[in-house]
Amino acid sequence: MSEDSTRKTLAVALGVCLVCSILVSTAAVSLSKIQKENRKRDKFKNILQAADLYSKDIDISATYREFIRPRIIELETGETVDPSMSDLLNVETFDIRAVAMDNELGTRVPADKDAAQIKRKPRFMAIYPVVKQGQTQKTILPVYGKGLWSTMYGFLALNRDLKTIDGFTFYEHGETPGLGGEVDNSQWKAQWQGKAAFDDQGRVVIEVIKGQVDSSAPGAEHKVDGLSGATITTRGVDQLVRFWLGENGYGPYLDKLREEMADEQS
Amino acid sequence: MSKAKKILLDPIFNDNPIARQILGICSALAVTSKLETSIVMALAVIFVVSFSNLAVSLIRNHIPTSIRILVEMTIIASLVIIADQFIKAFAFDISKQLSVYVGLIITNCIIMGRAEAFALKNPPLTSFLDGIGNGLGYSFVLLSVGFVRELLGSGKLLGMVVLKSTTEGGWYLPNGLLVLPASAFLLIGFLIWIIRTWKPEQVEEE
Amino acid sequence: MKLLRRVLDKQAQLFDKGGKLERLHPLYEALDTFLYTSGRVTTHASHVRDGLDLKRMMMTVVVALIPAVLMALYNTGLQANLVLAELGRTEILGWRGAILSFLGVGVTPESILANVLHGALYFFPVYLITLAAGGFWEVLFASVRRHQVAEGFLVTSLLFPLILPPDIPWWQVVVGISFGVVIGKEVFGGVGMNVLNPALTARVFLFFAYPAQISGDKVWVAVDGVSRATPLAELADPLLDLSVSYWDAFLGFIPGSMGETSTLACLIGAAVLILTGVGSWRIMLATVLGMATTALLMNVAGSSSNPLFQVTPLQHLVLGGFAFGTVFMATDPVSAAVTDAGKWIYGWLIGVLAVMIRVINPAFPEGVMLAILFMNVFAPIIDRIFIQRNIKRRLVRNVGR
Repeated sequence: MSEDSTRKTLAVALGVCLVCSILVSTAAVSLSKIQKENRKRDKFKNILQAADLYSKDIDISATYREFIRPRIIELETGETVDPSMSDLLNVETFDIRAVAMDNELGTRVPADKDAAQIKRKPRFMAIYPVVKQGQTQKTILPVYGKGLWSTMYGFLALNRDLKTIDGFTFYEHGETPGLGGEVDNSQWKAQWQGKAAFDDQGRVVIEVIKGQVDSSAPGAEHKVDGLSGATITTRGVDQLVRFWLGENGYGPYLDKLREEMADEQS
Repeated sequence: MSKAKKILLDPIFNDNPIARQILGICSALAVTSKLETSIVMALAVIFVVSFSNLAVSLIRNHIPTSIRILVEMTIIASLVIIADQFIKAFAFDISKQLSVYVGLIITNCIIMGRAEAFALKNPPLTSFLDGIGNGLGYSFVLLSVGFVRELLGSGKLLGMVVLKSTTEGGWYLPNGLLVLPASAFLLIGFLIWIIRTWKPEQVEEE
Repeated sequence: MKLLRRVLDKQAQLFDKGGKLERLHPLYEALDTFLYTSGRVTTHASHVRDGLDLKRMMMTVVVALIPAVLMALYNTGLQANLVLAELGRTEILGWRGAILSFLGVGVTPESILANVLHGALYFFPVYLITLAAGGFWEVLFASVRRHQVAEGFLVTSLLFPLILPPDIPWWQVVVGISFGVVIGKEVFGGVGMNVLNPALTARVFLFFAYPAQISGDKVWVAVDGVSRATPLAELADPLLDLSVSYWDAFLGFIPGSMGETSTLACLIGAAVLILTGVGSWRIMLATVLGMATTALLMNVAGSSSNPLFQVTPLQHLVLGGFAFGTVFMATDPVSAAVTDAGKWIYGWLIGVLAVMIRVINPAFPEGVMLAILFMNVFAPIIDRIFIQRNIKRRLVRNVGR
């Protein structure tokens, strides 16, 4: 049988493919469980970071299960829904992009209301209340919107008074390093803590301004410093926070919570 | 120097795949903003290039010339997928940062180049050593570039703060240019300059 | 004067071949020819493409820069003093304050002398640092490579401070000019071989390395802790109105990099360069035409979300570093195109790219220096195309005969 005969060629091709495919599939199948676990842990970690519960030496899954009580809500009505209606609505693997793109579960954002420039948004969202000693301490709300180059994905932690922001982190973005990329900067993120997102009437008042906030001026409690040299990223953050806290985002859900809170007090 | 030792060590300084042959610089630009990602990438390439050399060399007498490239490609692609799966399983944070670049090892000219130029003509063990040597040469450049870029670009090494940056309350103003991929071009240029000043025989005649 | 000559001559043997300080010969040579006319002129056409010798040519550029330097001194001080007046402060702290009060001039924006002195205290330190740091690399490379320190550095070292904001930290000046001289020039083999303009290379290095401070939408005014949006940044932001009048922008009484605010000073410089034949009028004209056509196209196209589309060619001309870049940077004889047809293409594309970066790229308000550097890289290719075409044309003519 000569080196280049058709039969030999086919035999070698088949042999190589067979060996390679066995190796590749063995690796993929045997490692897929660990990889799935990794993705989940990563998501948990981001949520715990937004909740200010993360440190290097905690058991991520255990801490998550101890404090986080995730649920799926319908944005338009603010109602909690049953996640079993679709596979995509699993709280632990919830993928904003997949849900937003889904014909049934996502919806188009009209251009005139699309402050965050996201084009499509999910009709349902997974949110993550942090519960300690039977009491909701804060609620972690996923938010996203366009910056200069990329869509920025983050978590906003809202205090149980439903007014004050408890923390804000972006876990995925592609902004210019050193300029817009400073949305990662811990000092910048730290100044969100304690800022008022809503006024007493429940209107969204938080804003990211250009330049530095004068802490003595009136209204400083709901203003956040812009990122220097990054006008468009700053505007993007401003718009996306206001969008998601407003009527097209979590507004209906937050209104519902406020009513419940008022009922309890009276 | 024994032949095996020469095959193993030559690609590091004397015949470095990046600095001498200017191959595989795409990933050297993309993943070197941090030392950690550089290390993982370097290990992945050492693994792929050495085992692809070994595999190609083992069957070198049976590969029909008409499908030679296809066979090599299949072997390399499989090894890359395996490496990618392992990184995703055991170094998830880094795999997120490396994103597609582990997969793109398939297109790294060094690997195909060694399979074509060396493994097809040499016995398995020497081919394996050649693969490791070239992987080390690639790693040397990647680690050097990654070291400088992370240190001066973010003031850190392996994620630990070395030069405390002004945005975190320190004194060091990070150099934003080094965070951009293009800066790796400059650094590789410097490296080639240094190597060729040290070993002038590498300078090409005009 | 004779004495100086004698001292120099006496030291000459030390630096000559075989002398003790042979390696430092370039330093001696530079000092000697700086003080006296060189005994030698360029003997063959290496990088000089007309009858002038390189030194004369560089001195002409320095002369052409004088109006810009004067404006740099005056305007830097003026902008600082205006802000101080606004803040209601009548004196400044630190060594600059000490010198100013020692000289008995205050910081009032009304006094020309006060403005110039205040500006000088910002400009000259940056200039001297540029000379020292850049000169160090020049001498080092000249020593190792055994060639002379090139006069080109006199121009580079004057251009660089002029395109920096006044309050730039001194260490950044050092880092920037080092990068510019080494990467922009020496790696290519020194003066005449460089593809890029060294002063611009230095500036762009700082631009990308420390973008939060000098990416061009904000500029430091020479008062501690005060920064102002540049007019270009104001135009880019729909919420801001332009705070400067057209006339001020033309004369240069606006915040900006030290030497590049005044279009008038650049025009005077352009006149000097064109009359002496040192700077190419083709490049300058082509750059302005490229800018004008692109800006007009943008005006016509329009955009609802990007106010920069509405900026007219005349506004582009007087804002940012356009005039300065066109006159002094784009025409740099070493890094520009040399064929006449090539110069038209080269200049025109600089104008086009500058406006495209200014208007369409949302991250960088200023695009002139990037456009010039980009075209620097293409200049040899443009030249090659035209030279090849010429050769082909002549070949055809000869064959036909």
